[in-house]
Amino acid sequence: MIYHIRHITRFDYGNQVKFARCNLRLKPIDWPGQHLEDYTLTVEPVGRLGPAHAEAGLANVTRLVVDTPVRTLSIESAARVTVDRLIPIPDASDPTLADIAAWARASHDLSAAGPANYIYPSPLIPLDPEIGDWCAQDLTPDRGCLEAGMALALRIQRDFQFDGTATFVDTPPRDAFRQRRGVCQDFAQIMITGLRAAGLPAAYASGYIRTIPPPGQPRLVGADATHAWVLLWCGPVRGWVGIDPTNGIWMAGDHIVMAVGRDYAEIAPVDGVVLGSGAQQMDVSVDVEPLEGGLSYSTAP
Amino acid sequence: MATQPAPPAPGQSAPLFDAQVHARRWIDDYIARAPLHDLLRSGPTAPWQAMLEELAAVASDDLGHARERVQRHATDIGTGFRIIGDGEERPWPVSPVPLLIDAAEWTGIAAGVAQRAELLERVTADLYGAGTLVANGTLPAALVTGSPLFLRPMVGIDPPGGHHLHFIGVDLARGPGGEWRVLADHLRAPAGAGYALENRLAVARTLGGLQAKLNVQRHAPFFAAFRAGIAAACRRTDPRIGLLTPGRYNPSYPEQAHLARYLGLLLVEGADLAALEGKVYVRTIAGLKRIDALWRRLDPRLLDPLAFDTHSQIGVPGLIDAWADGEVVLANAPGAGALEAPAFAAFMPTLSRAVLGETLKLPTIATWWCAGDAQRAHVEANLDTLTIAPAFGHLPLGLADHASRADLLADLARRPQDYVGQEEVALSTMPVVVGDRLEPRPFTLRVFAARGADGEWVVMPGGFGRIGEHPQATAVAIGEGLWSADVCIHGSEPVAAISLLTAPDSLHVRRNPGTLPSRVADNFYWLGRYLERGEALLAAIRVLLGNSIDVDGGAVLSPATVGKLVGLIVGAGGAAHPPGLSRAALTAFARAAMEDEGWQSVAAVNRYAREIGEASRDRLSADMVRLLEAPFPTQRGMLERAGTLQRRYAAIAGLSAEHMVRNDAWRFHDLGRRIERAMATARALRLFGMKDDTVSTPDDLSTLLDLGDSQISYRQRYPTGVARVPVVDLVALDPGNPRSLAFQAERIAEHLAKLPVLGDDDMAESQQSHATALAAIIATATAADLNPDTLGDVERRLGTLSEAVARRYFLQGAEPLRAVGLTLA
Repeated sequence: MIYHIRHITRFDYGNQVKFARCNLRLKPIDWPGQHLEDYTLTVEPVGRLGPAHAEAGLANVTRLVVDTPVRTLSIESAARVTVDRLIPIPDASDPTLADIAAWARASHDLSAAGPANYIYPSPLIPLDPEIGDWCAQDLTPDRGCLEAGMALALRIQRDFQFDGTATFVDTPPRDAFRQRRGVCQDFAQIMITGLRAAGLPAAYASGYIRTIPPPGQPRLVGADATHAWVLLWCGPVRGWVGIDPTNGIWMAGDHIVMAVGRDYAEIAPVDGVVLGSGAQQMDVSVDVEPLEGGLSYSTAP
Repeated sequence: MATQPAPPAPGQSAPLFDAQVHARRWIDDYIARAPLHDLLRSGPTAPWQAMLEELAAVASDDLGHARERVQRHATDIGTGFRIIGDGEERPWPVSPVPLLIDAAEWTGIAAGVAQRAELLERVTADLYGAGTLVANGTLPAALVTGSPLFLRPMVGIDPPGGHHLHFIGVDLARGPGGEWRVLADHLRAPAGAGYALENRLAVARTLGGLQAKLNVQRHAPFFAAFRAGIAAACRRTDPRIGLLTPGRYNPSYPEQAHLARYLGLLLVEGADLAALEGKVYVRTIAGLKRIDALWRRLDPRLLDPLAFDTHSQIGVPGLIDAWADGEVVLANAPGAGALEAPAFAAFMPTLSRAVLGETLKLPTIATWWCAGDAQRAHVEANLDTLTIAPAFGHLPLGLADHASRADLLADLARRPQDYVGQEEVALSTMPVVVGDRLEPRPFTLRVFAARGADGEWVVMPGGFGRIGEHPQATAVAIGEGLWSADVCIHGSEPVAAISLLTAPDSLHVRRNPGTLPSRVADNFYWLGRYLERGEALLAAIRVLLGNSIDVDGGAVLSPATVGKLVGLIVGAGGAAHPPGLSRAALTAFARAAMEDEGWQSVAAVNRYAREIGEASRDRLSADMVRLLEAPFPTQRGMLERAGTLQRRYAAIAGLSAEHMVRNDAWRFHDLGRRIERAMATARALRLFGMKDDTVSTPDDLSTLLDLGDSQISYRQRYPTGVARVPVVDLVALDPGNPRSLAFQAERIAEHLAKLPVLGDDDMAESQQSHATALAAIIATATAADLNPDTLGDVERRLGTLSEAVARRYFLQGAEPLRAVGLTLA
C-alpha cells in the first residue's frame, strides 16, 4: 500500500512574532515494513531550513529558523510512504515477558533503537505505581510477550473512553488514568507506564493511520490528526512490535510511523521557541490517502 | 597520662607556654576518648599540637570562643555572597579545627583522584563517541540509559577543546584502617569548591601562623590551572569566559558569585547570552561580545530549549548547536553526569583495567548493581547488611516512603536495574569542637580536580571536609553533614610563595574582564535610582516630622507648606493621602510612607534596592552588601528610624563614592542616582520655589533647602535670611552645589559621554543628545525666570532620557534574542 500524507500545521499569532526557532520532526522515518518514497516540506510565509545537531529520538529532524517578523506560520509536510507490514500473530514460541525484560537489561545496543533505551521512566512517563498495579495483571512474567501486550491494549481500549475534551497534550498519564478517559496519547502513555513498570522495553510511536476506512470497516479513531501508539520490543527475532491501544489493534498496514522516542517530548512533530508576546492559535490538519486500490489490508483477519 | 609540660624555657613567653599547655591538655583529653581509628589518635600528634597551639594562642583555653571566632570570620567572608536573614545562612558552619592530612599521604590520594578523573573522561568520551565499551560487552547498555543524566542528543558530538570534563569533585571516605575510598563522583557542576576557599580564608584569618608552621599547601595554583585549562580549550587566544548561573534564586548562587569573582569570570545568566549564526554572545553595554567558554552551573537539560527541554525559560536557544560547531566550550560538557549514577560504581574496577590497564588507586565503595542475576542474588541475601539505594537518579518504587520489605523484594524482581546494594563504610573520626571541648566526629572529604592548560589533571590540595552530627555515622548516613572543615595538606617542605599572588588565597587570580553585561548595568542603574529615591522620600518624611535646623521648622510649618509636603510624598507614591493635617493624621501618614507595602514607601524602595544588590553581589563590596541587607529598622520612634536609615543611605553613598572603582558599572550606578536626584529636585522646586500661583513663603523656601540638603550652604552664603531667588539659584542652578539640578545635569552628560557607543561615526547617540539638551536648558536658565513650565519640561526630559538609556543599554529595550514563549504542537 502506498499512502500520500498531507500534514499541515498552521500557527496564528495575535501579535507579530519577531523570531522563531523550531524543530520539525515531520518527515516519516524509515521503519521495518515502511519506506519513505518522496517528501516535501513547505514553510510559509518564509523560513530557513537546516540541520539540527542534537536529537534524542528516532526522528528526521529539521531546524526551522524564522527571523523576519510574521503573524502566521504555516508548515506543510507532504510524504509518500510505502507500507508493507504483516499483522503479527502471537505464537506459543514467543519469548516470555521475563525473557524480553532480561534481554533488554543485558543488551549491548546503546543506540536509540536499542531496547535498553526504553525500560526506564522518561520525563513525561514516570513509573506511576497506580498505573503499574493496574496493568500488572496482564503482565505475568511467564506470559508470551505478544499475547500479553495485546491483552493489555484491549483492556485499555475496553475500560477507557475516547474523549477529545478530557485531556490536553501535557496531561500527566496519572490524570488520564484516574478519569479513565483521554485520547491516543493518554492511552499510549498509560500502556507504556504499565509495560515499563514491569521492566519491559516500551517506546512511544507517533505517526498516522489511514483516514478513509476500507469498505465495510469502521473509520479508525484518531485518523484526522497525528496518532500515537506503543512499540514493544519482543526480542531479537520479532524486534519492535506495534500495538495501538486506542483501537485495540496491531500496528500493520494502516499505520505509518513518523517518529519513535521514549515519550512525546522527544518526538513532538513541531516544537521550539518563538519570541513574541501574543497568544497563539494552532490548527493541525492531517490527510492520509491510499494511492492504490486498498489491497494491502487484505492481510487483516 | 599526659606528661607534665616543662616550665617555660628562658626567653620563651608565657602566652606561648600557655598555648602549649592548653593544646597538650586538649589532645590528651581527646585521645583518651577517641576511637582507635581516629585521625588524630592513630597518627603523629605533632601537627595537631602545632595547630591547636595556634588555636590556643587566639582563644586561650576557651574552645567555644575559638569556634565563634572562626565562624565570625566565615560569616564575614561569606556575607558578600549570601542573603542574610532570608533563611540562606551558610549551609555548613565551619569548624575551627581543620582536617590535617600529611603531604605524603595526600600524594597517594591526589594520584588516585587524578587517575579517576582520567578514567571518567575516557569512559564518558567513549559513551558519547565510539561506543566500544557497550558494544564489546564491558558495559551493559542499560547501565548507561538508566541515568537521567545520559543525554542521548549529545551522542556523536565532539566537545570543543577535546574534553568532556574540566572540573570534577570526588567524595572520599577514610575507613577504620586508614584507607581512603571513593563514595561518589560529581561530574556536572560540583558544588563546594567555593566553600573550600571560604573555609581556608576563615581559618587562615584565625590561625594566622598555621601556614608557616605546617607548610600548608595553597589553593590558588589549582584555580589558576583550572582557568588556564578552559582558556586552552578555546579557539581564540584571549578568550572571554563566563560562569553560567541559573540565577540568584539558586541555592548555590552565592558560591557561584564568589567563584566568578575569584576566577575573574563573567557571571552570566541565560538571558545575558544569545546564540546567533552558530556563535555565542554576551549582551553588553558595548553591544554583543563573543563569549568563548562557559563554566556552566546550570542543569544541562535547561541549557538549550531547542536541544532538550523546550520549556526551559533560562536556557539559550541555539547554544548546543554552537557547541557542536566548536564555537563555544562548555565545562563540563552536557551529558557528563551520566557516570555519576551509583550503578556505575560497580563497574569502576573493571573499567579501570579495561580502559587504563591499571587497577584503581582509590577503590570505590563496594557496589552491586542488581540488573545482573548474581548481583541481585547477593544483594537479596545480604539485605540487612547492605545499604539498598537507587541505582540512578529516580527513586524506585520499592524505596518509596511507605514501601515495605515485601514491596522492595517485589519491585526488585520486576525492575532490578533500579537498585544497587552498597557496603556500609565505617568512617574515621576527627576532632571537632562541641561545647567547649574536642569531640570525635565522622567526616567525609570532597576533593576537586581540574584540567590544566596542557590537558593534565590538577588536584586541589585539600578540599571540602564535611563532618557528621552523630559520633557513629556511616558514609551513607552522613549525607550532607552538619559542619564543614578546612582541609590542610601539611608537610616538611616549605611551600613556595606564588608570585601571582601577594597574599595567600585572598587575591583574585585575574581581574574582572571589562565587559559589562547589560543586565548588570541595568541593576546598577536601578540600584542608584532606588537608593536615591529612598533618600529623597526619607528627607521629606523627616521635614514633615520636624527635623529642620531652622528653629521654626517641623511641627510649626504652616499648613500650606505641610500640605505641599504631603502632596510631594503622595505624588511620589509613598503613601495614600491623609484624611487631614492634624498631628495624629500626619504621624500615621509618615508611618505609612515609611513602611506600608503596596506603595512606593521607604520600606518598599529599600527592598527593591536590596533585591538588586543581591543580584549583583559578585560586583559589590561586602560592606555595601551588608548595608543593603541590614534589616529595616522597626524599633523606636518614626523620626529616629528615619534617621537610622538616612545614615545608612549616607554610608552606602559614601561607599559608592569612595570605594567603587570608576568603571562602567559605577557610572551606571551614579547615573541612576543623578537622574533620580534631578527628578526629585525639579519636583521640589516646582512645589516650593515658584512664585506664580502661590507665593513661596519662608516655610516653603526653608523646606526646599531641607529637601535639597542645602540649609547650611545657604546660611553660610546668605546669613541675612531666606529669599526666593537666591534659594532657587542655589538649589537649581548653582553648578557648585552637589545637590543642585545643574550639578546633576552636568554629571549625567559626563557619564553618557564616557560610556561606550555602538557606532564609529562619531555621532551622538539618542541618550547623549537628550542629556546635552537637558544640560543646555539648565545652564541657560536664570533663577528669577525659572518657572513651573521649564521645570515640568526638565522632569519630562529626564523621563525620556531614562528611557533612552534603558533602550540603548539594558536588556529590556534591546531586540529580544531569547524565548519569551514557546510552541509545542
